[in-house]
Amino acid sequence: MHSWGYRLNAVATFSLTVLGVMCGMVSFSDNFNHPTPSADVRVLNINWFQRHPDGNDEVSMTMNITANLQSLFTWNTKQVFVFLAAEYETPMNSLNQVSLWDGIIPTKEHARFWIHTANKYRFIDQGSNLRGKDFNLTLHWHVMPKTGKMFADKIVMPGYHLLEDYR
Amino acid sequence: MDWQGQRLSEQLMQVMLLTFAVAAYLTGFMVNSFRLMMLIFAGSVVLTALISVPNWPLFDRHPLKWLEPSVAEEFSREHPQKPVSALAASGKKKSSKK
Repeated sequence: MHSWGYRLNAVATFSLTVLGVMCGMVSFSDNFNHPTPSADVRVLNINWFQRHPDGNDEVSMTMNITANLQSLFTWNTKQVFVFLAAEYETPMNSLNQVSLWDGIIPTKEHARFWIHTANKYRFIDQGSNLRGKDFNLTLHWHVMPKTGKMFADKIVMPGYHLLEDYR
Repeated sequence: MDWQGQRLSEQLMQVMLLTFAVAAYLTGFMVNSFRLMMLIFAGSVVLTALISVPNWPLFDRHPLKWLEPSVAEEFSREHPQKPVSALAASGKKKSSKK
């Protein structure tokens, strides 16, 4: 500590150590946030429902997605990534997940939203199992923090049903 | 900067950074702003550096008292010290002389 260079070095290293501990505590404080998000999806219309020449089923539908994810936001949240997946069971796979729509929520103000949209990504099955299929629509989200641990969770919305016939 | 000053500046640096870190964390948590926490901490680092890095007169209040050269010579005459080489060789050479 006899020269200013040493003292500057000491300030730099110690402050970075303290900063690291501080960021760790910020990430830890996220554990005390108990979010109560809500979501609701209504399938307004099946636009078309076809079987491809290669044998895979594809559906296009129009949905209304309403969600309130504001409680996910804490002081340590950079953004939240959400995606809506159709989930169903087939004889070949016990869980199929097809992402239909996604979005990035940059701020808490944007976390309460509704959107009227056709599926952004194609809903194609591996095979032709979609006729008359019951499926869940699941809203998944990943909370991306400014520092520390990432959280992920989902809301499962059961009780959706596909048509018995192509159209 | 003297010895006492070095200790003072280091302790000052550590106490200041820790205190400001706690203050920044609590403020950020209460205001719900990560950005504010970072700004407060960055400001505190700059302030701490300004206080503890330069050689302020505050750190020079306990100057080392060196002995006067004449006193030092007298001291070494009263308490003669053998040179290191003499000490190492003393055991063997004595026996060879006799």
